Amino acid sequence: MIPAVTREDLKVIGYNLSKICYVTGAVLFLPIIVAVIYSEFDTIPYFLIGSAIAFILGCLVSHFLYTKKEMELKHAVCMAALAWLLAPILASVPILLSNATASGLDACFESVSGFTGTGLTLTLDIDHLSHSINFLRHFLQFFGDGIGIIVVSLSILGKTEMSSVLAFKGEAKDMGIRPSIVRTSRMIIKIAVAFLIIGTILFTAAGITAGLDPGTAVFDGLNHSMTGYATGGFSTRSQNLLYYHSVWVEVVAIVVMVLGAINFNLHYVVLGGRRREILKNIEVRVLLFMLLTFGLLVSANLLFTNFYTSGEALFRKGVFHVISAQTTTGFQTVPPSQFMLMWPVFSMMLLSAAMVIGGSANSTSGGIKMLRVGVLLKSFWGDVKRVLLPRTAVVRGSFHHIEDTPLTDTVIKGAAVITISYLILFSVGTAITAAHGYGLEDSMFETSSALGNVGLSCGITSPSMPAVLKVTYMFLMWAGKLEIMAVFVLFGFVILGLRKGIKK
Amino acid sequence: MGLRKFSLVSFLKKNFDFIAGVLSEIGLAAAIIAVAMVICMLLASVKPFL
Repeated sequence: MIPAVTREDLKVIGYNLSKICYVTGAVLFLPIIVAVIYSEFDTIPYFLIGSAIAFILGCLVSHFLYTKKEMELKHAVCMAALAWLLAPILASVPILLSNATASGLDACFESVSGFTGTGLTLTLDIDHLSHSINFLRHFLQFFGDGIGIIVVSLSILGKTEMSSVLAFKGEAKDMGIRPSIVRTSRMIIKIAVAFLIIGTILFTAAGITAGLDPGTAVFDGLNHSMTGYATGGFSTRSQNLLYYHSVWVEVVAIVVMVLGAINFNLHYVVLGGRRREILKNIEVRVLLFMLLTFGLLVSANLLFTNFYTSGEALFRKGVFHVISAQTTTGFQTVPPSQFMLMWPVFSMMLLSAAMVIGGSANSTSGGIKMLRVGVLLKSFWGDVKRVLLPRTAVVRGSFHHIEDTPLTDTVIKGAAVITISYLILFSVGTAITAAHGYGLEDSMFETSSALGNVGLSCGITSPSMPAVLKVTYMFLMWAGKLEIMAVFVLFGFVILGLRKGIKK
Repeated sequence: MGLRKFSLVSFLKKNFDFIAGVLSEIGLAAAIIAVAMVICMLLASVKPFL
């Protein structure tokens, strides 16, 4: 029997959420440096107000809900689910105050899209947005999704090692790669910063070759590096990467997107000296297979429908979007309306499939994850072999992910449950979108983009879209980020509290 | 005054695995780009004969 919800349970969740408030408050301080550099002093109060609200809320919650009780797994899962709602709401304050969006709901949407690393945007005039607000949008993706706000919050401010380990599990980032959580966090930050520096240098150089002045190239390079590594997809330009019309910018973007889509555990072992692991890993193999298969099919479809005729155009428009979709980044080199009005349906469907599958587990990517797809494919192949081989033959499945792992029923069941949950949410999201008058393939495209935390848009996401759709996509982004299970645990916790009451 | 002299060689030696790992991951991305480009070029060049 599931135990009833107690006051102590609520205190444990609330007390740990107060740390998220503190860290979000600190995050909102950082754009002030950018505001000072670009003499945008009028925006500084927005960040100060946002930061003050976060700190005051954190103080109040930690004062009234103080507890010495240790966090359990159920608390960690509920805390993670609530943290991914609370942090975006707090971070939306400066966006709302700066009038970058048309309404409070749009500011929340922008913030949820930022924290979850999605990249769908409702910002009104990105090209004329202040540098500091623009930096905030990008930094939310890097810090929220690229590094992981919960991990950092509890590693720095957590009472015990155990609370941080449970938080990792709660937000579907079960790392298990380092003996200590502090060392794990340090490693994640070291990897993220190393790739951020490399990405910034490469994007800046590409930007200068595309004709940008050095100052703008550095600003755009830093922001695109942050959102590229976080597989977020926000851009400093309303036309996204199409603005540059530069093959070098697109090549650098592909490199950064692929790096962001690689499993942290794999990063860790490869950067630790086991370089051959990169070719043996099941996720990298599935990534290569998917990219080349989808890339070939989309390119062939675009070519034989006479949409693009040159090899260069096929690569820059076809393959680029396959990689952007598969890594769940959302960088775009065609206008959204072109997807909706002109692209062949078959290519749109393939991009939707790539977005649903997504990148690696324990990476900044969203989607079902390639590890699960690999496990399900291996299991399927095992079943085929069982039918073909003599009845006495024993089929033992295994897959290589850092180490050889047996393909047990528990592993297969875990992968299947998440996959089915994703597909159910995908169907519901598509149905809600289609009910608002959009075509089926466009509805599938935009829903898979929101649920997979991708950010590619065929034009449905805009400030004028119905409020119901905005809320639906916010829910999909949130559920997709938490890999769905945490959302159901939170719902179960709330229903349990409502049905049985809160015990002392 | 308390500052150690920076040596590029010792830095590279100390961080060899990290740097080589980063380069091999960038190499993976570069290989994906190269293969995809070849496929696109081949497709475009084959199409007139189909």
